[in-house]
Amino acid sequence: MGIRSWVPAAGPFAELQRQMNRVFDSVFGRELGPLGPMRAGYVYPPTNVWETGDVYVVECEVPGLEMEDLEVYVTGDQLTVSGRRPETVPEAGVTLHRRERDSGRFSRALTLPGPVNGGATEATLSDGRLTVRVPKTEESKPKRVTIQAAS
Amino acid sequence: MAKTVDIPVERESALREPPASYFVPATDIYETPDELVLAAEMPGVKADGMDVTVEDSVLVLRGRPRAEPETRGGVLLKEFASGEYYRAFQLPADFDTARIQATLKQGVLTLRLPKSERMKPKRIEVKVE
Repeated sequence: MGIRSWVPAAGPFAELQRQMNRVFDSVFGRELGPLGPMRAGYVYPPTNVWETGDVYVVECEVPGLEMEDLEVYVTGDQLTVSGRRPETVPEAGVTLHRRERDSGRFSRALTLPGPVNGGATEATLSDGRLTVRVPKTEESKPKRVTIQAAS
Repeated sequence: MAKTVDIPVERESALREPPASYFVPATDIYETPDELVLAAEMPGVKADGMDVTVEDSVLVLRGRPRAEPETRGGVLLKEFASGEYYRAFQLPADFDTARIQATLKQGVLTLRLPKSERMKPKRIEVKVE
């Protein structure tokens, strides 16, 4: 039996209980998305993943990054996207009015659901979106099973 | 390196109103001695989907990403959706909006507004009497 905490819907401690649960989630626990760990609240880069019969397609939003700012690796069935977001505002001689864009190093690893052919992976970058196509190995591809009438 | 594309800045207000639902692009705004600079992140938007309008000192940015092909297969993770970006800024009245320049590179729209001579900081010489 696991530990479950009860969050009351109302009452003097309801909001405090909710906030404490959130703190525990983000510091001690890691939410597991279908493909890997996610820190509660902020994940970079935002990523979409879908699959066809032949390939896994991973799309990341990385506005402002060039090819030299990014590294993409496939190790086994794990895809890693890492790099550095360049400084967006000049360091000296400016008056800053608003800073909403982040900068700095990042690394994100995604475990794909099945075996892949890492060496045949293709990655393209356009308009601030990185698209990585990771081909499935033959054993990962769906195989049609012929149904036979029972005799 | 991706090339930087110039974006024409319109004066008409046809696209000034926000769409029904939209994403707000993360934007940095800073000022150098010579100009005001805004940089807004709109990944997935190409030059033909970007609209920049200035009217009455209100700067309106709109970006429409290309329509996604529907041949997607099984979705395993979805952290971002594709949709229109919109943001409006009230610019200080003193800026010469006629000389605003807009460029687009890797999904980041950068706007530069030169300051008029009157606005640039001038060093006051202190004379000793």
